[in-house]
Amino acid sequence: MAAGKELKRRIKSIKNTKKITKAMELVSASKMKRAISATLASRAYAGYSWEVLQSLAEYVSETQNPLIAGAGTDKTKEKILVVLVTSNRSLCGGYNSQVTRKTIAFIREHAGQTLDFISIGAKGESNLRRLGQNIIASFNDIADAPKLSDIYPIGNYILDLYKKGGYDRVCVAYTDFVSALTQTPQIATLLPVKKDELMETIAEAKQNASKATINYTFEPDYETLMSMIVEKIARMRVYQMILESTASEHSARMLAMKNASDAAGEMIDDLTLAFNKARQAGITQEISEISAGMASVS
Amino acid sequence: MSSNQIKLKIITPEKTVLEEMVDSVTIPTTEGEITILPHHIPLVSGLASGDIVARHGEDVVPMAVSGGFIEVKGVSGVTEVAVLADFAEHVKEISEDAVRAAQARADELKKMKENGEVVDFEHFASELERSLTRVKVADKWRGKKYRI
Repeated sequence: MAAGKELKRRIKSIKNTKKITKAMELVSASKMKRAISATLASRAYAGYSWEVLQSLAEYVSETQNPLIAGAGTDKTKEKILVVLVTSNRSLCGGYNSQVTRKTIAFIREHAGQTLDFISIGAKGESNLRRLGQNIIASFNDIADAPKLSDIYPIGNYILDLYKKGGYDRVCVAYTDFVSALTQTPQIATLLPVKKDELMETIAEAKQNASKATINYTFEPDYETLMSMIVEKIARMRVYQMILESTASEHSARMLAMKNASDAAGEMIDDLTLAFNKARQAGITQEISEISAGMASVS
Repeated sequence: MSSNQIKLKIITPEKTVLEEMVDSVTIPTTEGEITILPHHIPLVSGLASGDIVARHGEDVVPMAVSGGFIEVKGVSGVTEVAVLADFAEHVKEISEDAVRAAQARADELKKMKENGEVVDFEHFASELERSLTRVKVADKWRGKKYRI
């Protein structure tokens, strides 16, 4: 019965693993719920502020504002700052590897340009180090449910770097939360705000709703307000992207843990079947040996 | 829907704090305090720290806010006021304990500033501003009547 003992040991250890993955699944599920409600709540602000920016953008003439870009910058010579948002812990399926893969593709696309990185999350940092990229800052102490006051300094830091560090563009590689089952890694341009992009969406909105241009009064003046609002929106978008990423992380982890639990369950079933078969075979063999012994005696 | 009312929305990145029809609203802007009544001209302005006071008949709803911007516009006859604040809190949510904590925090932060210990200045400044606003607004509304 050596095989039976071995099987019994394996069943026991898999059962223990299943307990752990099941617990992690439940923890991730509750964290995910919180992260999702935070994400949805922040979308209201995001939507509204974007609308305000759009209605303001109609007044943009050839602006000197460095936060807003016109067309026609030389794309091949840009100096880009990339912010990579990943998780601190693993065991979350393809969550980290997907967004990293996207970043690697981005690095290839922009070969020969200066790329500097800010990493949010420990996993991204180690991946970037392995790739030999230049990391200028990394934030590894983001909580599971980040508050605005936690993210605010990061947003400010990025803005500061953009304004003083001579970067032409700031991109954020993050994971967009679509639903509990789908999350898509994305690279979005945070700064500068593209004027043509704004104008395009405005044109669309106008066609759809025949929206009349509103003649706003600006207090204090337009330029001051515009940079203030763009800065606020940039900071808010950093917050939002981190929220989207945490929501994605928790759902990815929940799914990964659910798969692990299911797999463990299947394995337990298979092993139990094998164990029972071995046990039965053992009994049959013993009986036949005994009856054979009896036959030879009598 | 009466056009003699304003649709007021107070939104922070963390949640929508308030969304309702009111008669008038007083807002601290970067250029000074303004009161917005129905049929106000379209306006975009910066938001300063202080208290937003929404009036609805006899009711007064005070909110402590800090940092952000406001947009006023008319949509099919109804004046819409959107306040996009970094932080907004109903005065009732600022308990005595919270005020004391905020005061203590503000004092501590000020001391840190004097000692030159502060590295993370931006974070520090916004936190100080928030603590001070809490204290100021709570002091102002202590003992006054308002709707919860």
